[in-house]
Amino acid sequence: MPPRTPRLTLPTAMVLLAVSRNYRYGFDISDATGLPSGTVYPVLRRLEEAGLLRSRWEAVETARSEQRPPRRYYTVTGSGTQAVRDAIDRYPTLDRALDRPTPSPEPRPA
Amino acid sequence: MTRLATDPEPSAAREPAPPGPTGGSPPGSVIVAACATVVPSDRRAEWQAEWLGELAYAWSVRRRGHDTPISVRVALLLRALGAVPDAIWFRRHYGGDSMLSQDLRYALRSLARWPGFSAVVILTLALGIGANAAIFSIVNAVLLRPLPYASPERLVFVFGTPTDGDSAKVGRSSSYPDFADIRARSRSFSQLAAFSVQQTTVTGKQFEPGIVSGAPVTASLFPMLGVSPLLGRSFSAEEDRPGAAGVAIISNEFWQQRLGTNPNVIGSSISLNGKPATIVGVMPPRFTFPGATAVWYPAGEPNAPQARGQHSFTILGRLAPGVTMGTADREVAGIAKQLETEYPSLNAKRGARVQSMTEAIIGNVRPQLLVLLGSVALVLLIVCVNVANLFLARATARTHEVAVRTAFGAGSRRLARQFLTESFVVTAIGSVLGLVVAYWGSKLLVSNAPTSIPRASEIGIDGHVLLFLLGLAVVTALIFGVLPALQMSRGMPIESLREGGRGTRGGLARRGLRQALVVSEVALAVVLVVGASLLVKSFWKMQRVDPGFVPDRMLVVQIQLPQSRYGGYADGDRVRAFYADVYRRIASRPEVQSVAVAMQHPLAPGWTSSFTIDGREPPPSGQEPESSIRPVMPGYFRAVGAKLLRGREIQESDGLGQPGVTVINEAFARLHFPNEDPIGRRIVRGSWWKGMPDSYEIVGIVADERFNGPRAPADPATYFSLAQFTFNDNWLLVRTRTDAKAFVPTLRRLVWSMDRDLPLENVQTMDKLLGDSVADSRFNTALLSLFAVVALLLAAIGIYGVLAYTVAQRTSEIGIRMALGAQRSSVLRLVVGNGVTLAVIGVAIGAAVALVATRSLERLVFGVSTTDPGVFTFVALALTAVAATAAAIPALRASRVDPIVALRSE
Repeated sequence: MPPRTPRLTLPTAMVLLAVSRNYRYGFDISDATGLPSGTVYPVLRRLEEAGLLRSRWEAVETARSEQRPPRRYYTVTGSGTQAVRDAIDRYPTLDRALDRPTPSPEPRPA
Repeated sequence: MTRLATDPEPSAAREPAPPGPTGGSPPGSVIVAACATVVPSDRRAEWQAEWLGELAYAWSVRRRGHDTPISVRVALLLRALGAVPDAIWFRRHYGGDSMLSQDLRYALRSLARWPGFSAVVILTLALGIGANAAIFSIVNAVLLRPLPYASPERLVFVFGTPTDGDSAKVGRSSSYPDFADIRARSRSFSQLAAFSVQQTTVTGKQFEPGIVSGAPVTASLFPMLGVSPLLGRSFSAEEDRPGAAGVAIISNEFWQQRLGTNPNVIGSSISLNGKPATIVGVMPPRFTFPGATAVWYPAGEPNAPQARGQHSFTILGRLAPGVTMGTADREVAGIAKQLETEYPSLNAKRGARVQSMTEAIIGNVRPQLLVLLGSVALVLLIVCVNVANLFLARATARTHEVAVRTAFGAGSRRLARQFLTESFVVTAIGSVLGLVVAYWGSKLLVSNAPTSIPRASEIGIDGHVLLFLLGLAVVTALIFGVLPALQMSRGMPIESLREGGRGTRGGLARRGLRQALVVSEVALAVVLVVGASLLVKSFWKMQRVDPGFVPDRMLVVQIQLPQSRYGGYADGDRVRAFYADVYRRIASRPEVQSVAVAMQHPLAPGWTSSFTIDGREPPPSGQEPESSIRPVMPGYFRAVGAKLLRGREIQESDGLGQPGVTVINEAFARLHFPNEDPIGRRIVRGSWWKGMPDSYEIVGIVADERFNGPRAPADPATYFSLAQFTFNDNWLLVRTRTDAKAFVPTLRRLVWSMDRDLPLENVQTMDKLLGDSVADSRFNTALLSLFAVVALLLAAIGIYGVLAYTVAQRTSEIGIRMALGAQRSSVLRLVVGNGVTLAVIGVAIGAAVALVATRSLERLVFGVSTTDPGVFTFVALALTAVAATAAAIPALRASRVDPIVALRSE
């Protein structure tokens, strides 16, 4: 299965934009976009597979200090940045809807 | 195929999740773990780590110890449900063409091919599973979840208990001095507290006066429960002493509803029963122990000489470390024995025992809830049988398909797995819908639950309920999936492939199996219908019990005259004047038919006091008989519709300073004057305050008012003249000519025109009070009847299904019979007879099972034996009739078989 660029549906655009606005974790993206987690995750998978997003794991020490397992976070890749612009072009109102202050602290990669 | 462009931290992904800040995994982990099995194994650990990481983080941010709101848990659970589509996405993208995904796809396709079948199966499963989860949500909250206090398993009540087994004399409550002695002498408890419950008039500048449930408590109560106020502080030991300045703690609900959640409430003044008090604390939401308490205040060590005779306190203790219930029980029994010797008259026959707090709170509802859970489980079993039947029917229709697949090399194990997959897929869809049913069902149950069910506010869908639902789904899928799968795997391919391969041995065996299933379905339905019918009959009997008064169009409201303005019991002039006046004013209204004033309304058991009978040898001190004390104003019996059997009523002339009179009830006459005429005899009881007579002539006998509720017989009761036996707090009972509710505003206006500061909120109708007294029976009866109707319907569908199928199979046989001269009526009889035979076998088995099963209803029925022959006969006939009706449709179809058409198809 070659990676193909996912269709820019509204949920896909919302997720992409949320990640570009520093909502990096699955549940945070779900909160920011109002989409159920069952929609957000498959979209994240598709975007990552298409190379528009990439994911890493949060530093183990950070998680361990809070006595919880580490979380996985997502960032927009170079080609993803162009897709974000496409998304904004296509859904102009979305840009304002999601334009909130940076929500979660910058994760330190492991 | 591409790999995910990630650089997973292997140790992070594979390491088991460390426990959360206070241990325990976040809600939803189970769902993720279950979904992980769908994810291809090479990606499973990483996938699971991502979901658990998010859940654990969200949980660590939102949880708040034991007080984490259910909504937070449910929100997380719903989040976790997103793992289902995600896991399926993984399976579809990376799973390759595994057998499981083939099976899944094939199952989904075959379900889509039979939409009607799939819809019926999924909907019945959703209802069955959902109803079970809804009932379980009650069981979970009420019976299984620990009480919301610190180490609740160590909390015990110390109850009073009669040493001679006669509970009329010694109740569960204790006197304050007894409590103080037990606290001083016992070693078994690390803490002991006492509390009472008292209707309390609360007034204040910021709110309307009101009567609320108040609780005098010892300062030790809140620390012992491990509950601290949300605002302010608990009571100090000094505030618990007599003569300390008045303080009060209010409930969160009281704070919100009466004080508008005023943040500066601490330090403000209110008045409790006319005495000033300062609010020092506000309890956290939903804490209303004991009962539905709105305001707590210090008990203040009542130590007057007569205090040992006033048993209004309940003792609660925390077992000291290492002490067992048995040890504590022996110790308190020993202390009670010492007290009995020290205070022979006041503590005669007064023992003590400990009971676990949990058991005391939920023990009474356990049988009721377990019966409901058992019944709803039976419904699910019937659903399973029915679905299995539907699957078998479809399996027959698919014989050809199976034969083709077998011929192409599908092994029997593979085929069986295919059918199991199908049953799991429909169950999975049914369970998701069932969750919706459970959510709404549980809401509906809570809003209709009788007040006798404790902890109703805690009922909801939580992790345990979801886990239960998941387990239920798996078991369900196995129960109804295995039979068709077994049948399928034993298919007879070659025979089936032949055109018109009817009458094969496989087909006959299948029909036998389906008939067996129908028989068991009928049997299960019989058990449920018998149970429901017993409850309906018992409820009907309860409704027909003569309550001893006429509740129609009657308003009931309690008036509490504060001692600060009306004087105490010893000086009742103002009290008597008030009631005489209010009586006159209400009675003069044209819309009022009659008015009664009484210290107890006809459904209030009230309290008892001891007496002796004049002219008889007095019993030893402390062993005098007791009777219910019920002072009334003249005209009471006529006004409430109680039947005067002999003698006369209480009259205007029975005033203060006149000879004391009393009217007794039948129970009193039966117990104390079995072979004598009580009229003219006298009862003697100490005069409690000045001017009160100390002996009373029995002037009348009245039929029993069922003041203990319709289920229990009335205790002996003595009705006095309110003028001779005056109390400040009395009930107004107003019977209107038309609609009672419409008179409420007028009633309020009338009373408030006399005294603007009297609280008058809880004006209720007597019908409502009577309804409340049987609310738990109504709840059980309604639910069990609903289950029985569903069971009956499913059994009817089952019978119909099997017969319709049989008729279709036997069309040509019937055609031959008719060509040979069989009458339509005999064909009709043949098919209906077939259905009725199945039903009769089922009824016989079911009745035998019901004889044993209905024993569990013993504590729930009233006036009906659990083996009531009438009920059993009725159910047997009804089920047979239903079976005959269900059989009639296929029978009619069979009788219309055209022999020519039937034979042509051969």
